[in-house]
Amino acid sequence: MMNLLTMPNLTGGHLGGWRHKDNWSDIIMNFDRIVELTRIAERGKFDAIFLADGNAVREMDKTELFAANWPSARPVGFEPVTLLTALSQHTKHIGLAATATTTYEEPYLLARKFASLDHLSKGRAGWNVVTTSNAGDSQNFGLEQHVARDIRYERAREFVEVAKGLWDSWADDAFPVDKASGRFLEPSRVHTLNHEGTHFKVKGPLNITRPPQGYPVMFMAGQSQPGRELAAQYADALFGAGDTKESCQEVYADIKRRMAKYGRDPDHLRIIPGVSFFVGRTSAEAQEHYEELQSLISPSLGVHYLSKIVFKDLSGYPIDGPMPEIDEEVVGGTSLRSYILDFAKRDKLTIRQTYERTVPSIGHAVFKGTATEVADQMEDWYRGKACDGFMVSVPTVPRGLSDFVDLVVPELQRRGLFRKDYGGPTLRETMGLPIPENPVFSVPAIAAE
Amino acid sequence: MMNIGVNVGALGGHLAGWRHRDSWHPTLMRLDNVILAATLAERGKLDMIFLADGNGVRQMDKPDLFAANSPSNRPAVFEPVTLFAAVSQHTSHVGFVATATTTYEEPFTLARKFASLDHISGGRCGWNLVTTSYPEDARNFSKEEHLPREQRYERAREFADVVRGLWDSWAEDAFPQDQASGRYLEPSLVHAQNHKGKYFSVRGPLNCPRTPQGRPVIFSAGQSTHGIETSAYCADAVFASVPTKADGMAYFADVKGRMAKYGRSPDELKIMPGLSICVAATATEADELFDELQDLIPIELGVAYLSKLLDTNLSAYPLDGPLPEIEGADVGTTAAGRQMADQAKRDGATIRQMSRKILASTTGTMFKGSPRQVADEMEDWYRSQACDGFMISNPVMPRGLQAVVDLLIPELQRRGLFRTEYPGRTLRETMGLKTPVNPYFAVPTLAAE
Repeated sequence: MMNLLTMPNLTGGHLGGWRHKDNWSDIIMNFDRIVELTRIAERGKFDAIFLADGNAVREMDKTELFAANWPSARPVGFEPVTLLTALSQHTKHIGLAATATTTYEEPYLLARKFASLDHLSKGRAGWNVVTTSNAGDSQNFGLEQHVARDIRYERAREFVEVAKGLWDSWADDAFPVDKASGRFLEPSRVHTLNHEGTHFKVKGPLNITRPPQGYPVMFMAGQSQPGRELAAQYADALFGAGDTKESCQEVYADIKRRMAKYGRDPDHLRIIPGVSFFVGRTSAEAQEHYEELQSLISPSLGVHYLSKIVFKDLSGYPIDGPMPEIDEEVVGGTSLRSYILDFAKRDKLTIRQTYERTVPSIGHAVFKGTATEVADQMEDWYRGKACDGFMVSVPTVPRGLSDFVDLVVPELQRRGLFRKDYGGPTLRETMGLPIPENPVFSVPAIAAE
Repeated sequence: MMNIGVNVGALGGHLAGWRHRDSWHPTLMRLDNVILAATLAERGKLDMIFLADGNGVRQMDKPDLFAANSPSNRPAVFEPVTLFAAVSQHTSHVGFVATATTTYEEPFTLARKFASLDHISGGRCGWNLVTTSYPEDARNFSKEEHLPREQRYERAREFADVVRGLWDSWAEDAFPQDQASGRYLEPSLVHAQNHKGKYFSVRGPLNCPRTPQGRPVIFSAGQSTHGIETSAYCADAVFASVPTKADGMAYFADVKGRMAKYGRSPDELKIMPGLSICVAATATEADELFDELQDLIPIELGVAYLSKLLDTNLSAYPLDGPLPEIEGADVGTTAAGRQMADQAKRDGATIRQMSRKILASTTGTMFKGSPRQVADEMEDWYRSQACDGFMISNPVMPRGLQAVVDLLIPELQRRGLFRTEYPGRTLRETMGLKTPVNPYFAVPTLAAE
């Protein structure tokens, strides 16, 4: 069964989304709208909503971009774990996943807040493990310089180990809470981690019981070699992947192959590329919506936006001339940057063509058309082992999401590609992932005499 | 008007509270219990609900105490900010005060989560600033040694400066969200703090707008000189630990007397001593409840608990002999322990007597009796300027809180000491605190021509 996730982003997924007449207009810190959007996704039986995140106000040095806002800039918003916890009280089934960084957080505090979210939502929490590619964030945490990628990934690996160890602190039967005897807890049923590593020393135990899902579902992104290796070892799901079926197939095969050496079943890591959907009742309606949105981006904003993503000021080049050759490594460079540079080179695009292709999708693929047309593409990717599901980006809200839910989801259900109802209560069950046993307190198999 | 908050720890305030037949069962990690307590508090028009917190599983080296649990141990609890985000969705007026430590958290992360909770709750959030007195928590944060108190408080003050600065990052009108022009935000209406201090360097701005209350309400505790000075410097409210009215009056005068040098007026800080309330329809009924609770504690457990509080093993000393002389270590000795030792010395009490006494209350003072008797004592303290209100705990939850709301609050209301309706929506309005002006975006007063 396909996995579908979406981001309840009130600006919409297109750079011009928030300006469109069909987008909500009062969107700053509007909690009620986020609740409404999450409920639409739950009506569509989505696996989860996902909140991207960072720890800084970005692009302040690029005034035009800053003032215009764009979907991944997020100058202001809710802190994601508090937001998801509040949303858990307005929903029953949908998963609640958020980004948190291993570079600036403490394992004890992070393990605690995600465990708390998992309990409060009755097993619906997801953690997107990131190492933070945005260099500026480091200055909000007392660091002069961004930590190099290798060190970030080394720290991430140790961080994940510590978090899992902390989640395993208590046996499920550790708390008799027996009024009669006065025994509240069973001292032998708690495990002290005593972790001492390169980046962390964490004694434990964690001061919260084991999460209903064992561990929250762990998402990762990152297409670099260390990123892929980390995902193959630890991730339950992987975002990103590529902008074409072929590039996704390459990542899909590579990651699933790498899992074998960690003794993992390839089905236990779900690969979920982002795709931007422009859906209409007719192909013409979808195309019209797309063009309306593109027209909301001035050439100047488009060039600034592209410059930012590829880490090169393109404003001095002719807009209808070819994309200049850019091959230098940059600090904080992302997989998104590589995709864009690759397709611009491959398809010999001009600067204008490159931003026009980048804007509607932030670099990933675009599926546009009627429900049937869009479902055909989704089915092709899914059956072609390019992915296990999709991060559904919609250009405007609520229109884009309600159209997807009302038009595309029923078509996928008809084809047997997507669930008609939720199964078990937890996100792991929804996504088809196993609930990990507690290795510290697992019952040993008794050998037969 | 008196300020009254309630500690909603599910175990109740008495060491045997959870064992009493009227206590919640099951007790452990129950969101519905906290929602019920919050709803009760709101029915009683209380200012806020409060949860103490720490980042460690404590008393593991004392198996008897550990297994019996005590209200201040908290081996397995929700992380408080996520918990209150959930509870805020089930209430409309009551405030939420969550504890968070300046010793192990990052200012950016902390400022963000409390700002987020303030937005989610419509301006009902408070931060109880603590520096963590329990030394073992350090070992969950890659630290070998607990910071000495003086440095903890120095760090705390700088931390509070950074957090307040971050909360003031954005002007109220920074977000035009103008769909027609494409201007989402106004780049001139954001302030980057660029803080560089002894403990932190944080560039800012915060990626969250100013909150509905301007800033969340800052609480602090701490009876040491450093703690008191920090409260006078930056707290909006203080949890005091004072055993008698005379101590309360001295403390009240001391804290408020230190505020002038920070340019603050005494009514900008509310003093709320911890108070255990054992109230029932009649004095006899209150006595019965109290005796039932005392009988649920074996004397060995009482001695173990007293030993822990005084940081001295008392089990080797004769039960009916005096408390031995205790050497006061600076690190890790809490105000409550110091107070207990002083009192024993003053009264010439035996170990048995002190052990019985300590069981009564973990918050120092207890008022016990009929609604009229308890209200008399509260009124006496309030009118004598020993406090601005109380942070109460109840020996058995939810019975104790139910009695406070049904019996005691109406008595205080009849006397004109407590509100009969909430004056507004935010915690600052409820508490009678002003919304702080944003110093970076204050409207300048125009001089008359």
